[in-house]
Amino acid sequence: MIDFGGWELPVWYTSILQEHKAVRSQAGMFDVSYMGRIRLAGREGGALLDKILTKPAQQLEVGSAQLCLMCLENGGILDDLLVYRMGADQYLVVWNINNTEQKFNWLLRWAGSNPDVIIEDRTRDTVMLAVQGPAVSQLENLKGVYHLPWFGHAQTKIGGISVFVARTGYTGEDGFEIISDAANALPLWLSFMEQGAKPCGLGARDSLRLEAGMLLYGQDVDTGTNPFEAGLGWLVDLDNGEFVGKSALLEISRQGVKRKLIGFQVEGREIARSGYRIFKSGSEIGRVTSGGYAPSLGVSIGLGYVPIELATIGTDIEIMIRNKPVVAQVVDRRFYKRGAK
Amino acid sequence: MNPKEYKYTPEHEWICPEPGGKGRIGITDYAQSQLGDIVYLDLPAPGTQVEQLGKIGEIESVKAVSDLFTPVSGKVLEINQTAIDEPQVVNQDPYGAGWLVRLELSKPSQLDALMNSDEYDELVAKLREES
Repeated sequence: MIDFGGWELPVWYTSILQEHKAVRSQAGMFDVSYMGRIRLAGREGGALLDKILTKPAQQLEVGSAQLCLMCLENGGILDDLLVYRMGADQYLVVWNINNTEQKFNWLLRWAGSNPDVIIEDRTRDTVMLAVQGPAVSQLENLKGVYHLPWFGHAQTKIGGISVFVARTGYTGEDGFEIISDAANALPLWLSFMEQGAKPCGLGARDSLRLEAGMLLYGQDVDTGTNPFEAGLGWLVDLDNGEFVGKSALLEISRQGVKRKLIGFQVEGREIARSGYRIFKSGSEIGRVTSGGYAPSLGVSIGLGYVPIELATIGTDIEIMIRNKPVVAQVVDRRFYKRGAK
Repeated sequence: MNPKEYKYTPEHEWICPEPGGKGRIGITDYAQSQLGDIVYLDLPAPGTQVEQLGKIGEIESVKAVSDLFTPVSGKVLEINQTAIDEPQVVNQDPYGAGWLVRLELSKPSQLDALMNSDEYDELVAKLREES
């Protein structure tokens, strides 16, 4: 068990590799209750979201959701998050564990004293489970929501327990995320276990998301990175209304970025861990932000920022792994693609 | 249980003495359970001279990397190619098929100062209690 931002969580239950493989081939389950869950409501709750997010939330249909970013005025990423539209004036924001206080202050700052905006932190009184893997549709618990499209969500019941279910996840597989009152945590967990969902810890969560080329806030992106260098420009809508950070992002997009987040594959089996230095022809060109063993591919992979001119797929780079330069190649960041095993 | 005929270090390596002043070394079951899934081994080339408690290699698990130390001094005779090719064998069978390095001991008397299995069992029991 480790302390994960104030939450006591296991890195693995049985083995990171077994848990990873369960999600890729069957079904695995993560307790992700540490993710922040914030209810936004009131007549101007949607307008507040539009003001601070990089994609307009009010364009979402009720029952759908979207990924987007919350940026600072200078374009730095304060968080990447999911916004669910629950009703006409009802939204749910699910964000990362990092910078929680700063993000609440940010919401409150832009909300001002507007009486038509309601912000409610639901993190502590609800539980959130991620059930992921190709076999999720065969789980009795999720039969009723299998019609949901990706990013679709619904209010339903599992074994008599009221739950909110969304077809979302962070593993590169099909999957659902389930939110319910905290008191229902154990019965839900046990019921999914009985149906064959294997409990998975933080280790597998990290190896799954890395293989799928998904970024980890606080490691691959933070307030010091902008969406374009991180390859997250697709989450930024510069064509519609105004939002915080838009003018800075327009300028960055106009000038082009100087560095880019790349995926790389190490030639040997040494693991290039976060913080290791990246070299090209003897000069340091960047740092590894995430790195690990890719269990589905049997190779060592990672992410890191390098100058834009060295970010082309196929470029040879070197990672300094404990004072030994190890050759790696720039590759497509989506190392693992579902169905293309 | 940790094999009776092996000797152990506080760093969770074992050595299995063989006739003729030789011995195989590896990591203990406790060590593999703490490391989790092992994915890469960096072991010394045959012929290398190694010094007691010196670093002779690295063991990389999904979670972290840790150093491998030798319980005794000697010359590397062979390394376990199976473990290099399939490091998970170290998790599955740390005292058998998951051995790491075979040495020719230069000072066999060093074995006497290592822990026996009872002493090592005790150490592991204590560590498990603490965690």
